[in-house]
Amino acid sequence: MIGEIIINAFLVTLMLTIAIFIINTRKVISTILLTGTYSLVAALMFVSLDAVDVAFTEASVGAGISTILFLAALSYLPKEEKEEKFNVKHIYAICTCIIVAGLLIWASYDLPLVGQLENPVHQNLAQDFIEGSRNHIGIPNVVTSILASYRGYDTFGETVVIYTAGIAVLVLLYDGVSKTSKIHKENNK
Amino acid sequence: MDNLILKVCTKVLFTPIILFGLYVQFHGDFGPGGGFQAGVIVAAAFILYAMVFSVEDCKVIMPPKLNFFLLALGAFLYGFVGIIGLILGDPYLSYDVLGTTKEAGQHIGILLVEFGVGLTVCNVMISLFYSFANFNFGKKNND
Repeated sequence: MIGEIIINAFLVTLMLTIAIFIINTRKVISTILLTGTYSLVAALMFVSLDAVDVAFTEASVGAGISTILFLAALSYLPKEEKEEKFNVKHIYAICTCIIVAGLLIWASYDLPLVGQLENPVHQNLAQDFIEGSRNHIGIPNVVTSILASYRGYDTFGETVVIYTAGIAVLVLLYDGVSKTSKIHKENNK
Repeated sequence: MDNLILKVCTKVLFTPIILFGLYVQFHGDFGPGGGFQAGVIVAAAFILYAMVFSVEDCKVIMPPKLNFFLLALGAFLYGFVGIIGLILGDPYLSYDVLGTTKEAGQHIGILLVEFGVGLTVCNVMISLFYSFANFNFGKKNND
């Protein structure tokens, strides 16, 4: 129990430190790399919450691919962020942040404690899913049986969303033959 | 990039990364993993290859046409598995009728569906990288 608290406190402190560094840094490349590190610590956080599948996804998508895609997009961006002087807009932003954070913290007092058996999440369908996963589907990983079988429609929707997003980016950015190969051909002529 | 160590390491690592992706894909029923993660891992192998060698070299092993075909095939496979169930007289996306027993049907259905997810995710990631990279090089050469 104590060990878990120490690990969680360490991870939260680490995430907070990284977040402060992200705010402070002005170089775009350090922001990207720090965001990747943040995702990696978030993945560790999910492991400590026993959500291994989510942690796996966070580590591969959040820390891996999205960092690479940001780096690939880096060359369109200016190398450094412009320093902006403190003005009225910032006061509005600070007020909004404080109000929203206050509301969220206030709302969090109504949440049940994590990992308690009598929580509403564990009362309704969870029991059926866990039993059905063993008896009806015969798969040890309950996450997979919920993802692919019980909630097959949702996953289909997710797949189609990813497909559509990919197609949209291709329509916007992909221009058939790459310009390098065109230039190569012209040079060869 | 012209670094011998990077090139050799990439060539050595390329196959194990894809193998690990396939392990995550097909072991998703028994441990953590599944289509989304596996797709990203396999895509990472191709992106690594494209970064260390060049995008043109990567297009030789994964041609854009094949990439787009597989991208669409993944989503199609998912929907098609649902339709097979529909034809055999079950609700859409219920896999009970796909096998000889209900359990076998569920196994086959989940395996196919996850494979569809993996295909789509992997090829979307690769095509995203292709389009970003293409855009880049064009810009640099125009300068």
